[in-house]
Amino acid sequence: MENVISKYCIVKPHEVIVDGKVDFSDSENPEYGAFMKAIYKHYEVKYPKYFKMDNLCKVAFLATEIVLQGNDQIKELDPGKVGVILQNSHSSIDTDSKYNDTIKDKANYFPSPAVFVYTLPNVMIGEICIRNKFQGENTCFIAKEFDAEFISDYVNGLLDSGKIDACVTGWADYIDGEYCAMLFLVEKSKENIKDNISFKPEFINQLIK
Amino acid sequence: MNKIYTIADNIISSLGFTSNENFLALKAGKSGISKTSDPKLTQSPLQVSQVDSERLNSDFSRLEKPEDYTRLEKMMILSINDALSQTEIDPSKEDTLFVFSSVKGNIDLIEDENHPFDKDRIHLWAMSDSVCNFFKSKIKPIFISNACISGITAINTGAHLLKNQKYKNVIVCGGDVISEFTPSGFQSFKAVSENPCKPFDANRDGITLGEGVGTIILSTNKNLVKEDNPVIFRGGANTNDANHISGPSRTGDGLYYAIRNTLDEAGKSDTKIDYISGHGTATPYNDEMESKAIKWAELDHVPVNSLKSYWGHTLGAAGIIECVAGIHSIKENCLIKTLGYSEHGVSEAINIIKEYEETEVRNFLKTASGFGGSNAAAYFSELNAD
Repeated sequence: MENVISKYCIVKPHEVIVDGKVDFSDSENPEYGAFMKAIYKHYEVKYPKYFKMDNLCKVAFLATEIVLQGNDQIKELDPGKVGVILQNSHSSIDTDSKYNDTIKDKANYFPSPAVFVYTLPNVMIGEICIRNKFQGENTCFIAKEFDAEFISDYVNGLLDSGKIDACVTGWADYIDGEYCAMLFLVEKSKENIKDNISFKPEFINQLIK
Repeated sequence: MNKIYTIADNIISSLGFTSNENFLALKAGKSGISKTSDPKLTQSPLQVSQVDSERLNSDFSRLEKPEDYTRLEKMMILSINDALSQTEIDPSKEDTLFVFSSVKGNIDLIEDENHPFDKDRIHLWAMSDSVCNFFKSKIKPIFISNACISGITAINTGAHLLKNQKYKNVIVCGGDVISEFTPSGFQSFKAVSENPCKPFDANRDGITLGEGVGTIILSTNKNLVKEDNPVIFRGGANTNDANHISGPSRTGDGLYYAIRNTLDEAGKSDTKIDYISGHGTATPYNDEMESKAIKWAELDHVPVNSLKSYWGHTLGAAGIIECVAGIHSIKENCLIKTLGYSEHGVSEAINIIKEYEETEVRNFLKTASGFGGSNAAAYFSELNAD
């Protein structure tokens, strides 16, 4: 059986694209922090832990929130069968630099556990799992650019093997004010749903063009 | 389905530059942890397990110019090179894929503003490209950064990718180096032990960090197997406990699910497991959680150890070097004691290995847990066992 994209979301500067259409834009708030805040408000996200997250986690988290809105069927699944498989380019290097600033100057040495914990790229997956209680397969892959062929091969393999029944997957990256998240909710196809897009690299690459 | 054979391996750590050197030290109960006050690494005395820099550079200079590669790249290239020398695999061919695991990669470059490398070299993909270029591989490598479970995830991913038959061989290599970055962070968490760590012990008070690299070569090509009864990969799984980004679940549910899913994939329906290579970081919470997961899986009778008191916690290498030790425990039919463990300090009566023992070992389960709520397990056995 085929695995299909139930919904997808792209968050990039000034724009949120959902299933191919611009769903929200805010050109008055071009700066990352202000735009994330605008998204948080617009999509009525209510999650105080969000404000503790670093920039990479924030963009990955918000894109996931948008993808899952209106997809309550995911909550009916066994949480152990929902996976989160993400890829990124710059790991947690943005927060790594911030953390390094706290240990660089020996006269002003203040390593912070609250910053240090975000020096791991897979913590964005942890944040998404905690929010949604997902307990399935979770891996953070690193590649210079989004590799739709690899991600679709890998995620389809997990779905076909029965290890998971659904997956939040795609790309989330942040470095120095530059950001992009492209997240897909992928499920096993159901007969009664038409017009679903198969989770294959040729289609994925078209959607994110 | 094709069998996934383990055909070669290597460990580079404070205890040596080959799997054999390392395993001999483990059998002798010798730890590579020592105390340092090197101001480049720490602002207060630190127990740490470090790779011998002099030997690293002199061994590496036989292959290439040491100044062209970072510390971690040198360790990875030497490790892969040694593992490859045990096989007939040509790593430049298209049937061989590289899978890397590292938590922090070339993080030492972030602390040295005058380093001689390209500014991109700090990125994990740039590091794996550098290693792959050395071996003239033209296939895009896979890179995993999954906190402390990275090494197991890399093995599981490599095996998963072999199943769809696109590749015949996977070279899994993982590692991390120690610079000031990681120890200072764990110290800020008050998670670092003053003495060499004591996994599962009543007086454990935190982790000891280490550096190192491990390599395991997996293959579906039976012709590359040299032994009559080789060790094969049977199954593996990664889960999340969805509890807290920097603390394990109290119940052990995430790790239990990883164990259950792993044994399901392996087709292992009984609890006849000869050995569990635990994560055993020696933090109060981790070891306690682990004991609950092992009990939940009804594996509390199985001998279990943690090797963190030999090598320290080597982050991206840990899962791999601990699996290599498991493979050698099978090959040499022996169980390594948990150094530093004397008084049982977890709530479940799991069977911690106290003394080195020679006994039949046909299979083992490897477990790991880490920040971000991640948990993983992998299961290996002899070809003629289950």
